[in-house]
Amino acid sequence: MVSAESWLKIAVPVVAVVAALVLGLLIIAVSGSSVVEAMAAFWDGMAGSVYNVGASINRAISLGFIGLGFIFANRANLTNVGGEGQLAVGGMFATAMALHGAGSLPMGLAFVVPLLAGAAAGALWGGLAGILKARRNTNEVISTLLLTFIALPLVYWSVESVNLLRKPMTEVSSLPESAEIPDPTKLPMLVPSDPTSPLHIGLVLFVIAVVATWLVLTRSALGLRLRAVGLNELASRRAGIGTGRLIVASMAVAGGLGGLAGAIMIQGQAFYLTNNFSSGYGFDGLVVGLLARGSAVGVVLGALLFGFLRSGSIAMEITAQVPSAVVLISQGLIVIALAGSAMLVERKAAR
Amino acid sequence: MSEEQLAVFIGSGLRLAMPLVLAATGELLSQRAGVLNLSLDGLMLTAAFAAATVSWATGNPLVGLLVGVLASLVLAYLQAVLSVTLRANQLVVGIGFNILALGATTFLYREIFGALSRDTIPGFGKVHIPLLSELPLVGPALFQQTALTYVGLILVVVTWWLLARTSFGLSVRAVGEDPRAADQAGISVTRTRYLGVLYAGAFAGLGGAFMSVADSNTFTEGMTRGAGYLAITAVIFGGWSPFKTLAACLLFGFATALQFLVPAMKLDVPVALLLMLPYVLALFAVAGFVSTGRQPAALTLPFMRGT
Repeated sequence: MVSAESWLKIAVPVVAVVAALVLGLLIIAVSGSSVVEAMAAFWDGMAGSVYNVGASINRAISLGFIGLGFIFANRANLTNVGGEGQLAVGGMFATAMALHGAGSLPMGLAFVVPLLAGAAAGALWGGLAGILKARRNTNEVISTLLLTFIALPLVYWSVESVNLLRKPMTEVSSLPESAEIPDPTKLPMLVPSDPTSPLHIGLVLFVIAVVATWLVLTRSALGLRLRAVGLNELASRRAGIGTGRLIVASMAVAGGLGGLAGAIMIQGQAFYLTNNFSSGYGFDGLVVGLLARGSAVGVVLGALLFGFLRSGSIAMEITAQVPSAVVLISQGLIVIALAGSAMLVERKAAR
Repeated sequence: MSEEQLAVFIGSGLRLAMPLVLAATGELLSQRAGVLNLSLDGLMLTAAFAAATVSWATGNPLVGLLVGVLASLVLAYLQAVLSVTLRANQLVVGIGFNILALGATTFLYREIFGALSRDTIPGFGKVHIPLLSELPLVGPALFQQTALTYVGLILVVVTWWLLARTSFGLSVRAVGEDPRAADQAGISVTRTRYLGVLYAGAFAGLGGAFMSVADSNTFTEGMTRGAGYLAITAVIFGGWSPFKTLAACLLFGFATALQFLVPAMKLDVPVALLLMLPYVLALFAVAGFVSTGRQPAALTLPFMRGT
C-alpha cells in the first residue's frame, strides 16, 4: 500500500514535469518548427547511440553531484544556490593540478589528486558561505550566488592569462583555453573494450556518493543533528550540538560535491579548461536538488531526467534549429510549479 | 587620467547605476513588507525585452517603457500569488522565475528578431538640464542623462517619503516586522504584501526597461547579467534604508564603470578582476563588514492567520 502522502509526493513532480514538457512541445509547434523533426533530433541527442547515452549519463553525473550537495546542506535548512561557482572552481583547480604536478605521479594518484584538488576547492567555496552564515548570519542564498559571480570571472581570468592556465600561445592556435591535461590524469574508462562509450569511473564515484549521502542523511547521528539544526537552531545549540561547525561542514560538503563535479567534467570528458565550461550545470543541478525534496533517490531520477533533457536540447538546437531556450522555459515552469505545490502536498500530508 | 576620461567615468557610473537604483528602491519597499523577490533579475530581463520589442515595433520608447513595466507587473503579480497566497518558498519561486524569464526572452528574441539582431531600437534621448549641464566636467556627465535617470532619483525620495511619512509606509513596516501584531491591529498582511511585491515589480520594470531603451538601445540575450541579484544585495548593503541603498547602487555602478576607465587609462589590470569587483564588494557588504542595518524580522517568512 502506498499512502496518500507519498503518492502525492511522486505524482506532483511527475505531473509538473510532464505538463512543462508538453508545453515546451506546444511552444515548438506554435513557433512553426516541425515538432516531429524536433523530437527526432531530441531523441537522437538523448539516446541515439552508445556515445549519446553515455554522454547523457555523464551530464547526469555532474548534475547529480550538485543535487546531492544541495539536499545535504538543505537537511540543515541551508539553501546552497552556489553550485555553479563551486563546480567552476573545482574544474579550475583540478585542471591546474593535472597540468602542474599530478601528471607524473605514480599510477592511480595521477587522476586522484586532481579530483581531490577540485573537491577541496569546491569545499572551500561552499565552506566560505557556511562560515559567513555561522559567524555573521549572512543569508547563504545571497552569499553563494555572489561567490558564483566571483568564481566565473576567475575561470575566465585563468584561461585568458598565459601566466595562469592558458596554453602557451602558438601561431596555429591562440584560443583562450588551457592545454589538454596529461593522459594519466584523465579518468579511467568503464568500458575500455568499447572506444565509443564515454562512460568513466565518475559513474562509480557518483553511485558511492549517492549511497553515502543516503546513509548519512537517513541512518546516522550526523544526519539527525543536521535535521535538528535545520528545524530549530537555537534549541539544537541549547541541546549541545555545535551548530556553527555543522553549518560550515554541511556547506563545505555541498561545495565539495560541486567541486568534484567540476573536476569530473574536466578529467572525464572535456580534458581542457574553457571559459564557461560550467555553462549552467550548477543551476540545473540546483533544480535537480530542489526537485528531489531531500531524497538521494530523487536526486538520481532528477539528474537523469535533466541530463538526458540537456543532451536532447543541444541536439535539437543543432539539428532542428529549435532554440534550447525552450527547455529552459520548461525547467523554469517545473521549478515554479513544484514550489507552488509544496504547501499543498504538505497540507495534505499533515491531515 | 584626463579630465575627459573622468567626465566619461562619472557619466557612465551614474548610467550603469540607474537600473540598480530603480530595481533596488522598489525591492527595498517589498522587503520592508517581508517579501524578498529573488526574481528581480527575471523581472528586469522581461521588462528590458518587452520594452525593446515594443519600442522597436511602435517606434516610441515611452510606449515600450510602459509595456515593459506592465510585463514586469504581471510576473510580479503571479509571484505574489505564489509567495504570499500559496506561501511558497520565496527564494525557490524567484529562481524559477529567473530561469523562465531567461528562457522565454531568449526564445522570443530569436523568434522575433532573428536575422535583425544587433539592430538598434528607438531609445530615449538625453535631456540637457539648463545651466547645470553647462558646468565644467560634471555638467555634461551628470546633467545630460535621459529623463528616466532623474525620474529614478526622484522615486528614491518618494519611496523614502512613503515609508517614513505615510500610513501605508507604517503598514509596510509593521507587516515586515511583526505580521501577527499587524494583523491584530487590523492591517491586511496579504494586501500590504501584494502591494509591496507589485511596487518592486513596477520598479524592476523601470530598471529593466532603462537597460534596453534608455541605455544601450538594444536587447541582448540575458542582458541583465545578474543586475537583479546585485540590486537585492544593494538593499542589504544599504541596511534597508532608501538613501543608503542609493549610495550602494552608485558604488556598484562606479565599480562597473571602472571596466571601461581602466583599459582607457592603459592600466594593466585584468578585466576579470574588474568584472568581479562589484560582487566582491557586495560579499563584504552582506557579510556585515560594512553596513549594520537590521533586516525586517519577518523577511521571507510566509504568514498565515491562527498558527
